[in-house]
Amino acid sequence: MSEHAAAHDEAHGEHGDHDIHPEPTSFLRKYVFSTDHKVIAKQFIWLGLIFMFIGGSMAMMIRWQLANPGEPFPILGKQIFSNSGGIVSPAAYTSLFTMHGTIMIFYAITPIMIGGFGNFCIPLMIGARDMVFPKLNAFSFWMMFVSTIILVISFFVPMGAAGAGWTTYPTLSTTMGTPGVGQTLWVVAIYCAGASTLMGAVNYITTVIVLRAPGMGYFQMPLTVWGLWLTAILNALFIPVLAAGMILLFLDRVVGTHFFLAGTMVKGGGDPILYQHLFWIFGHPEVYILILPGWGVVSDLLSFFSRKPAYGYKVTALAMSAVCVLSAVVYGHHMFTTGLSPLLGQGFMVLTMIISVPAEIFFLNWLHTLWKGKIRLTVPMLFALGLVFVFGLGGLTGLYLATISTDLYLHDTYFVVGHFHLTMAAAVFLGSFASIYFWFPKMFGRMTNPLLGKLHFWFSFIPINLIFCGMLYVGFGGMQRRLYDPSVYATFKHLLPVNQFISTSAYVLGFGSIFFSINFFYSMFYGAKAPQNPWEVTTLEWTNTTSPPPHHNYDVIPTVLRGAHEFGNPEFMKATGKDWLGQAEELPAAGAKAADKETAE
Amino acid sequence: MTRPRNIFLLAAAVVAASCGVAHAQFIGGRPLDVSLDGHRGDWLFDVTTLSVTLLFIIMVGIMLGAALLHRDKPGRKAHYETGIGRSHLVLTAVISSVIFFGVDGVLLVSSFNSLTEGFWKWPANDGKTVTVEVMAQQWGWNLRYPGKDGKFNTPDDILTWNDMPIPKDVPVMIKMMSKDVIHSFYLPNFRTKQDAVPGQVTQLWFQAVEKGEFEIGCAQHCGVNHYKMKGMLKVVEQADFNQWLETAGADAVRRYDAADTEAHWGWDWES
Repeated sequence: MSEHAAAHDEAHGEHGDHDIHPEPTSFLRKYVFSTDHKVIAKQFIWLGLIFMFIGGSMAMMIRWQLANPGEPFPILGKQIFSNSGGIVSPAAYTSLFTMHGTIMIFYAITPIMIGGFGNFCIPLMIGARDMVFPKLNAFSFWMMFVSTIILVISFFVPMGAAGAGWTTYPTLSTTMGTPGVGQTLWVVAIYCAGASTLMGAVNYITTVIVLRAPGMGYFQMPLTVWGLWLTAILNALFIPVLAAGMILLFLDRVVGTHFFLAGTMVKGGGDPILYQHLFWIFGHPEVYILILPGWGVVSDLLSFFSRKPAYGYKVTALAMSAVCVLSAVVYGHHMFTTGLSPLLGQGFMVLTMIISVPAEIFFLNWLHTLWKGKIRLTVPMLFALGLVFVFGLGGLTGLYLATISTDLYLHDTYFVVGHFHLTMAAAVFLGSFASIYFWFPKMFGRMTNPLLGKLHFWFSFIPINLIFCGMLYVGFGGMQRRLYDPSVYATFKHLLPVNQFISTSAYVLGFGSIFFSINFFYSMFYGAKAPQNPWEVTTLEWTNTTSPPPHHNYDVIPTVLRGAHEFGNPEFMKATGKDWLGQAEELPAAGAKAADKETAE
Repeated sequence: MTRPRNIFLLAAAVVAASCGVAHAQFIGGRPLDVSLDGHRGDWLFDVTTLSVTLLFIIMVGIMLGAALLHRDKPGRKAHYETGIGRSHLVLTAVISSVIFFGVDGVLLVSSFNSLTEGFWKWPANDGKTVTVEVMAQQWGWNLRYPGKDGKFNTPDDILTWNDMPIPKDVPVMIKMMSKDVIHSFYLPNFRTKQDAVPGQVTQLWFQAVEKGEFEIGCAQHCGVNHYKMKGMLKVVEQADFNQWLETAGADAVRRYDAADTEAHWGWDWES
């Protein structure tokens, strides 16, 4: 132990090792109502994976209907769609695509990447013993749990679950368009999920600010932490906007106010477009909220497995911050066809183009990180490369939707569906699994099976591209989204084979998740025991604590000496004989000072 | 040796498939364009596709190249660079500027131009332009032609349901509203659409250059039967259109019922 670290530990000695809550002994406090960030992380990941399964199954039903319109859904169709003899009815279809989007965004991706890996990685990677507000952290999870209960109940009320789309535009989402209780419960559930996310966000922001280990400045943080931290900041700024929209919508539905009601059917003085402004002021940053953790993880993983420093580390961190700032001012491109004034249209078009610049910059940095590396195609690395690929595709297809003259045709078609799935579904999906495979050894103390992992990767990556590129093509053909049966239009009849191809690819993707399930459960109990640092990487959770870490994370709070991407430095290699150097690792005495000085400059 | 090669064959297949999809537009797939201005959006789409495909191929090329050439092998050393030197920053700035001005900028300017020459170049209400009012509702389109007097919401208005005859080669100007929820008036063959919103009037114009029947879709999710909300645009010669106006106008006057307030949803354009 270095002198510095010892001094630090002593300084904290006043609060002792007890500046973290004591290790609980009862089963309930240890595994259920835990305040330990590692346990809460796992709870979030379990919840997210369960809902990813549910949301994914719904996608299969949607794809079945589009490939085989009006045919009964096989196997469980009779049980699920009992009122219509196993056929997906139009009403069931609207509920399916509404709940698929809702579940995947708010109950699968958000819990896994933000609730799960936000919780797991932030304290460990900054060298803290827990979050700064452990009880708030636990409350955040249980708020999310309450939200999921409300959501699940909404499936079983009269008139079924919500059906106004995940964007839930009024006036369709008011009692005029969707009178059922399910839609009201949806509004309440989203509000609760937002409250949960907000609690997490406050915690993450504060934790990063106050609990970084000594020596860790903002620009020594791993990029994963940067991504999660920026996500938390966006959440804290924009979830309240969504909450405001939900409150007004709730009042319109339940109390009879007319915030969003207008038209000749109801003489309300409201404005349905107002909701769209509120929704997209939240909704566009939300896209970045979902992908930023993925960007952060990938920025780290590309460096870790190329055995090279993250190219332009500081530039990447600043570019991601720039995306966050800009994300608040581009939302108008979701409303190009609402009758937006040409002046606003032009403004949002320019801003939308500008946001591609910081994205280009860190993309270039990623490619530079890879180039001339010593690439280890481990399972997490494959998923990380997959993310770069699909996000590249998704980002580039955004150009079509950013210019109004092409958007006029493509708006509300499957092109949009393909585009946003590539960016915020496929990319985040691959990012989630990159994270799961990467941190699994640290979480459970066991290694996953690389063969099953690779099978899972190829069975995900190839179908994902076929599915969403297929959707781009269908949208290019002009087919609108959210159509129960596109064959009603003669114009889209010829797209049926393409839709069938997409559906088949989707079933393959669904099948691929079996490899993951087997790997996940088998490895958890029977996987090879994980060493402390199986990937030979530099961040604190791998270099300075065991797999899995003890309750208090670090016996001694490490003192950080350098950034998170010290790979392949020739000086260090000479001194240590390995191509990496941990963030808190002291160099052997000889020649150390010279080398340290060199990198510090 | 063979296993990694198989993996890259697979990856190459994926790239090829993606490029194939990106290029499929040159084979067909878009509905027939029968509008005066639809080609502007189509042209920009194709230009975007070319630039995007180029960028994507470069990106994937670098990724695949790195994965093939720079794999971890005994004896291989990673090139040590942190990428924060001045030359690195300049390089990044130059490449992203080239992309921003060369791709984004070009698309932006082209889109501005095509919008001011087409979509935002509203036709003059000079008596030649056909004017139509649309009231969207769950699940269909109410249409209102002003009739002989050229004024809306008068007894000689012609009302139709999901049926929209228009003359060829004449600008058509529609103003629309919705009775209940948000709909979107979508003409795939004209490459354009416009939301119909309750409580506010939005407008759209277009001009047909070919005769025939073309579908009017609803592009905004508007409830359970959203998929059935379909109208038909019938493009006919000016003479045939005039004749239709004549007979339908006479019918309308005969059928007019002052007590049927439901049918008086129109509004005066000047007010």
